[in-house]
Amino acid sequence: MKIKSRSYLPLLLCPLLLGGCATPAHRVDDQRKLNSIAPTTDDYALIAGQMVQSMFESGALDKSPHKPANLCVGKIKNDTRYQFDDLNINELSKKIRTILNQSGKTITDVTGGAITEPDFTLSGKIIDKYVTQGRRKQHTYIFQLSLTDSQARAVWEDEKEVTKQETKPLF
Amino acid sequence: MSTHNSLFLISVASLAVSLFQCGCSTMNTLEPAQPVAQRQMLSDKRVITDTSLYGRVRPVGINVATVSTGFLQIQVEVQNLSSSVQLFAYRIEWFDANGMIIHTLLSTWIDRQIQGGETLSLTGIAPTETAKDFRIKFVSK
Repeated sequence: MKIKSRSYLPLLLCPLLLGGCATPAHRVDDQRKLNSIAPTTDDYALIAGQMVQSMFESGALDKSPHKPANLCVGKIKNDTRYQFDDLNINELSKKIRTILNQSGKTITDVTGGAITEPDFTLSGKIIDKYVTQGRRKQHTYIFQLSLTDSQARAVWEDEKEVTKQETKPLF
Repeated sequence: MSTHNSLFLISVASLAVSLFQCGCSTMNTLEPAQPVAQRQMLSDKRVITDTSLYGRVRPVGINVATVSTGFLQIQVEVQNLSSSVQLFAYRIEWFDANGMIIHTLLSTWIDRQIQGGETLSLTGIAPTETAKDFRIKFVSK
Protein backbone atom coordinates (compact mmCIF):
# COMPACT_ATOMS: atom_id res chain seq x y z
CA MET A 1 0.00 0.00 0.00
CA LYS A 2 1.45 3.28 -1.01
CA ILE A 3 1.27 5.79 1.75
CA LYS A 4 1.14 9.35 0.59
CA SER A 5 3.76 11.62 2.14
CA ARG A 6 1.05 14.18 2.85
CA SER A 7 -0.37 11.83 5.50
CA TYR A 8 2.67 12.56 7.62
CA LEU A 9 2.22 16.32 7.40
CA PRO A 10 -0.03 16.69 10.51
CA LEU A 11 2.44 14.59 12.52
CA LEU A 12 5.32 16.77 11.39
CA LEU A 13 3.42 19.90 12.35
CA CYS A 14 2.62 18.65 15.87
CA PRO A 15 6.00 19.46 17.41
CA LEU A 16 5.88 22.93 15.89
CA LEU A 17 2.39 23.55 17.25
CA LEU A 18 3.24 22.18 20.70
CA GLY A 19 6.44 24.17 20.76
CA GLY A 20 4.43 27.28 19.97
CA CYS A 21 2.31 26.75 23.11
CA ALA A 22 5.34 27.39 25.30
CA THR A 23 5.71 30.82 26.86
CA PRO A 24 9.07 32.18 27.93
CA ALA A 25 9.45 33.26 31.54
CA HIS A 26 7.92 36.65 32.17
CA ARG A 27 6.72 38.76 35.05
CA VAL A 28 3.00 38.87 35.68
CA ASP A 29 0.96 41.46 37.46
CA ASP A 30 -1.35 40.76 40.39
CA GLN A 31 -4.31 39.93 38.20
CA ARG A 32 -2.65 37.09 36.38
CA LYS A 33 -0.93 35.27 39.20
CA LEU A 34 -1.63 31.58 39.54
CA ASN A 35 -3.48 30.33 42.54
CA SER A 36 -2.93 27.16 44.55
CA ILE A 37 -4.77 25.13 47.15
CA ALA A 38 -2.28 26.19 49.79
CA PRO A 39 -2.13 29.81 50.99
CA THR A 40 -0.19 31.95 48.54
CA THR A 41 1.84 35.12 48.96
CA ASP A 42 -1.24 37.13 47.98
CA ASP A 43 -3.31 35.34 50.62
CA TYR A 44 -0.77 36.17 53.30
CA ALA A 45 -0.69 39.79 52.13
CA LEU A 46 -4.48 39.96 52.32
CA ILE A 47 -4.63 38.39 55.77
CA ALA A 48 -1.80 40.53 57.10
CA GLY A 49 -3.53 43.68 55.82
CA GLN A 50 -6.91 42.72 57.25
CA MET A 51 -5.45 41.79 60.63
CA VAL A 52 -3.44 44.99 60.99
CA GLN A 53 -6.42 47.08 59.89
CA SER A 54 -8.51 45.36 62.53
CA MET A 55 -5.81 46.11 65.09
CA PHE A 56 -5.78 49.80 64.09
CA GLU A 57 -9.56 50.02 64.29
CA SER A 58 -9.55 48.62 67.81
CA GLY A 59 -7.15 51.29 69.06
CA ALA A 60 -5.29 48.69 71.13
CA LEU A 61 -1.86 49.97 70.11
CA ASP A 62 -2.72 53.49 71.35
CA LYS A 63 -2.94 52.19 74.89
CA SER A 64 0.76 51.35 74.91
CA PRO A 65 2.87 53.01 77.61
CA HIS A 66 5.47 53.72 74.90
CA LYS A 67 5.01 55.51 71.62
CA PRO A 68 5.74 53.76 69.31
CA ALA A 69 4.84 50.53 71.03
CA ASN A 70 7.44 47.80 71.49
CA LEU A 71 5.91 44.75 69.88
CA CYS A 72 7.24 41.26 69.78
CA VAL A 73 5.88 39.13 66.94
CA GLY A 74 5.74 35.69 68.48
CA LYS A 75 5.19 32.33 66.94
CA ILE A 76 2.30 31.76 64.56
CA LYS A 77 1.67 28.07 64.88
CA ASN A 78 0.74 25.85 61.96
CA ASP A 79 -2.15 23.71 63.20
CA THR A 80 -3.24 22.62 59.74
CA ARG A 81 -2.89 19.22 58.19
CA TYR A 82 -0.30 20.62 55.81
CA GLN A 83 3.39 20.82 56.45
CA PHE A 84 3.92 24.43 55.46
CA ASP A 85 7.57 25.02 55.83
CA ASP A 86 8.65 27.68 58.27
CA LEU A 87 9.25 30.05 55.40
CA ASN A 88 5.56 30.27 54.61
CA ILE A 89 4.54 31.05 58.19
CA ASN A 90 7.41 33.49 58.48
CA GLU A 91 6.10 35.18 55.35
CA LEU A 92 2.90 36.07 57.18
CA SER A 93 4.83 37.33 60.21
CA LYS A 94 7.08 39.35 57.93
CA LYS A 95 4.17 41.03 56.19
CA ILE A 96 2.50 41.90 59.48
CA ARG A 97 5.75 43.35 60.83
CA THR A 98 6.27 45.34 57.64
CA ILE A 99 2.81 46.93 57.77
CA LEU A 100 3.08 47.66 61.49
CA ASN A 101 6.54 49.19 61.24
CA GLN A 102 5.60 51.29 58.21
CA SER A 103 2.65 52.66 60.19
CA GLY A 104 4.99 54.17 62.76
CA LYS A 105 2.84 52.74 65.54
CA THR A 106 5.25 49.97 66.54
CA ILE A 107 8.85 48.90 66.77
CA THR A 108 9.16 45.18 66.23
CA ASP A 109 11.71 42.52 66.95
CA VAL A 110 13.11 40.91 63.80
CA THR A 111 15.66 38.41 65.08
CA GLY A 112 14.16 37.64 68.46
CA GLY A 113 15.52 38.76 71.79
CA ALA A 114 16.11 42.38 70.80
CA ILE A 115 13.04 43.58 72.70
CA THR A 116 13.38 42.30 76.24
CA GLU A 117 10.29 43.97 77.71
CA PRO A 118 7.71 44.23 74.94
CA ASP A 119 4.56 46.29 75.44
CA PHE A 120 2.70 43.78 73.32
CA THR A 121 3.18 40.30 71.95
CA LEU A 122 1.47 39.11 68.79
CA SER A 123 0.88 35.40 68.43
CA GLY A 124 -1.57 33.04 66.88
CA LYS A 125 -2.19 29.98 64.82
CA ILE A 126 -3.52 28.76 61.52
CA ILE A 127 -6.07 25.97 61.51
CA ASP A 128 -7.89 24.43 58.60
CA LYS A 129 -11.16 22.79 57.68
CA TYR A 130 -11.47 20.40 54.80
CA VAL A 131 -14.71 19.49 53.03
CA THR A 132 -15.26 17.27 50.02
CA GLN A 133 -18.31 16.96 47.85
CA GLY A 134 -17.86 14.57 44.98
CA ARG A 135 -14.97 15.81 42.89
CA ARG A 136 -15.00 19.20 44.57
CA LYS A 137 -12.70 19.86 47.52
CA GLN A 138 -12.76 22.91 49.76
CA HIS A 139 -10.00 24.00 52.10
CA THR A 140 -10.65 26.80 54.58
CA TYR A 141 -7.65 28.25 56.38
CA ILE A 142 -8.52 30.10 59.56
CA PHE A 143 -5.97 32.61 60.80
CA GLN A 144 -6.32 33.42 64.50
CA LEU A 145 -4.20 36.19 65.99
CA SER A 146 -4.06 37.73 69.45
CA LEU A 147 -2.31 40.75 70.85
CA THR A 148 -1.45 40.47 74.52
CA ASP A 149 0.00 43.13 76.79
CA SER A 150 2.87 42.80 79.24
CA GLN A 151 0.53 41.17 81.73
CA ALA A 152 -0.57 38.54 79.24
CA ARG A 153 -4.01 40.09 78.86
CA ALA A 154 -5.55 39.89 75.41
CA VAL A 155 -6.12 43.46 74.20
CA TRP A 156 -7.01 42.51 70.66
CA GLU A 157 -8.05 39.35 68.85
CA ASP A 158 -9.33 38.57 65.42
CA GLU A 159 -9.90 35.72 63.04
CA LYS A 160 -9.84 35.77 59.23
CA GLU A 161 -10.48 33.03 56.70
CA VAL A 162 -9.24 32.12 53.27
CA THR A 163 -11.22 29.46 51.41
CA LYS A 164 -9.92 27.61 48.39
CA GLN A 165 -11.79 25.19 46.17
CA GLU A 166 -10.64 22.80 43.53
CA THR A 167 -12.42 20.32 41.30
CA LYS A 168 -10.62 17.16 40.37
CA PRO A 169 -10.85 16.09 36.74
CA LEU A 170 -12.94 13.11 35.77
CA PHE A 171 -9.93 11.22 34.46
CA MET B 1 -49.33 17.63 19.08
CA SER B 2 -47.63 14.29 19.49
CA THR B 3 -46.55 13.00 22.88
CA HIS B 4 -42.92 13.21 21.84
CA ASN B 5 -43.19 16.89 20.94
CA SER B 6 -45.06 17.64 24.18
CA LEU B 7 -42.41 15.97 26.29
CA PHE B 8 -39.70 17.83 24.40
CA LEU B 9 -41.37 21.19 24.99
CA ILE B 10 -41.90 20.43 28.67
CA SER B 11 -38.22 19.48 29.02
CA VAL B 12 -37.07 22.65 27.33
CA ALA B 13 -39.39 24.76 29.47
CA SER B 14 -38.16 23.06 32.66
CA LEU B 15 -34.55 23.57 31.66
CA ALA B 16 -35.22 27.22 30.91
CA VAL B 17 -36.86 27.73 34.30
CA SER B 18 -33.97 25.98 36.07
CA LEU B 19 -31.36 28.07 34.30
CA PHE B 20 -33.28 31.23 35.06
CA GLN B 21 -33.53 30.37 38.76
CA CYS B 22 -29.87 29.38 39.03
CA GLY B 23 -28.63 32.58 37.45
CA CYS B 24 -30.82 35.04 39.34
CA SER B 25 -30.47 35.37 43.09
CA THR B 26 -31.08 38.82 44.53
CA MET B 27 -30.81 40.09 48.08
CA ASN B 28 -33.37 41.93 50.19
CA THR B 29 -32.19 44.33 52.87
CA LEU B 30 -33.65 46.01 55.92
CA GLU B 31 -32.28 49.01 57.75
CA PRO B 32 -33.55 51.89 59.90
CA ALA B 33 -35.60 54.43 57.98
CA GLN B 34 -33.97 57.16 60.09
CA PRO B 35 -30.33 56.09 60.45
CA VAL B 36 -28.66 57.23 63.64
CA ALA B 37 -25.16 57.06 62.19
CA GLN B 38 -23.95 60.35 60.72
CA ARG B 39 -21.98 59.59 57.61
CA GLN B 40 -19.49 62.01 56.21
CA MET B 41 -19.92 61.40 52.51
CA LEU B 42 -17.31 62.55 50.02
CA SER B 43 -17.96 63.79 46.52
CA ASP B 44 -15.97 61.68 44.09
CA LYS B 45 -14.51 61.77 40.62
CA ARG B 46 -15.03 58.65 38.48
CA VAL B 47 -13.07 57.45 35.49
CA ILE B 48 -15.05 54.71 33.79
CA THR B 49 -13.29 52.58 31.20
CA ASP B 50 -15.16 49.36 31.86
CA THR B 51 -18.78 50.31 31.23
CA SER B 52 -19.86 46.70 31.57
CA LEU B 53 -18.52 46.47 35.12
CA TYR B 54 -19.89 49.91 36.00
CA GLY B 55 -23.29 48.81 34.78
CA ARG B 56 -23.23 45.79 37.08
CA VAL B 57 -21.21 46.77 40.15
CA ARG B 58 -21.52 50.48 40.84
CA PRO B 59 -19.92 52.53 43.63
CA VAL B 60 -22.71 54.40 45.36
CA GLY B 61 -20.72 56.67 47.65
CA ILE B 62 -17.65 57.09 49.84
CA ASN B 63 -17.78 57.69 53.57
CA VAL B 64 -14.64 58.91 55.38
CA ALA B 65 -13.68 59.01 59.04
CA THR B 66 -10.61 59.13 61.26
CA VAL B 67 -9.98 56.26 63.63
CA SER B 68 -8.58 56.71 67.13
CA THR B 69 -5.06 56.02 65.85
CA GLY B 70 -5.36 59.16 63.72
CA PHE B 71 -5.45 57.17 60.51
CA LEU B 72 -7.86 57.93 57.69
CA GLN B 73 -10.56 55.32 57.25
CA ILE B 74 -12.77 55.02 54.21
CA GLN B 75 -15.87 53.04 53.42
CA VAL B 76 -17.08 52.59 49.86
CA GLU B 77 -20.58 51.36 49.20
CA VAL B 78 -20.99 49.37 46.02
CA GLN B 79 -24.23 48.07 44.64
CA ASN B 80 -24.86 45.16 42.33
CA LEU B 81 -27.32 46.51 39.80
CA SER B 82 -27.81 43.11 38.20
CA SER B 83 -29.87 40.19 39.43
CA SER B 84 -27.00 37.72 39.50
CA VAL B 85 -23.83 37.22 41.52
CA GLN B 86 -20.93 39.35 40.36
CA LEU B 87 -17.22 38.87 40.97
CA PHE B 88 -14.89 41.79 41.12
CA ALA B 89 -11.64 42.89 42.71
CA TYR B 90 -10.75 46.20 44.27
CA ARG B 91 -7.65 47.90 45.53
CA ILE B 92 -7.11 51.07 47.55
CA GLU B 93 -4.07 53.25 46.85
CA TRP B 94 -3.00 55.85 49.36
CA PHE B 95 -1.34 59.22 48.81
CA ASP B 96 0.37 61.66 51.13
CA ALA B 97 -0.36 65.38 51.44
CA ASN B 98 1.84 66.05 48.39
CA GLY B 99 -0.06 63.57 46.27
CA MET B 100 2.79 61.06 46.30
CA ILE B 101 1.74 57.45 46.38
CA ILE B 102 2.51 55.50 49.55
CA HIS B 103 3.72 52.02 48.71
CA THR B 104 2.19 49.61 51.17
CA LEU B 105 1.19 45.97 51.42
CA LEU B 106 -2.29 47.25 52.31
CA SER B 107 -2.74 48.21 48.66
CA THR B 108 -3.27 44.63 47.59
CA TRP B 109 -6.01 43.44 45.26
CA ILE B 110 -8.97 42.02 47.14
CA ASP B 111 -11.44 39.67 45.49
CA ARG B 112 -15.08 40.06 46.41
CA GLN B 113 -18.39 38.54 45.47
CA ILE B 114 -21.64 40.48 45.56
CA GLN B 115 -25.13 39.02 45.34
CA GLY B 116 -27.71 40.36 42.92
CA GLY B 117 -29.18 43.58 44.24
CA GLU B 118 -26.82 43.59 47.21
CA THR B 119 -25.15 46.71 48.59
CA LEU B 120 -21.74 45.99 50.01
CA SER B 121 -19.45 48.13 52.17
CA LEU B 122 -15.75 47.97 51.39
CA THR B 123 -13.52 49.46 54.07
CA GLY B 124 -9.90 50.42 54.26
CA ILE B 125 -7.62 52.11 56.77
CA ALA B 126 -4.65 54.20 55.73
CA PRO B 127 -1.23 52.63 56.30
CA THR B 128 0.18 55.71 58.08
CA GLU B 129 -0.90 59.07 59.51
CA THR B 130 0.72 60.73 56.51
CA ALA B 131 -1.87 59.23 54.15
CA LYS B 132 -4.30 62.03 53.32
CA ASP B 133 -5.78 60.93 50.03
CA PHE B 134 -6.74 57.76 48.28
CA ARG B 135 -7.87 56.17 45.01
CA ILE B 136 -9.94 53.02 44.63
CA LYS B 137 -9.65 50.76 41.60
CA PHE B 138 -12.15 48.17 40.48
CA VAL B 139 -11.72 45.36 37.97
CA SER B 140 -14.02 42.64 36.79
CA LYS B 141 -13.11 39.03 37.65
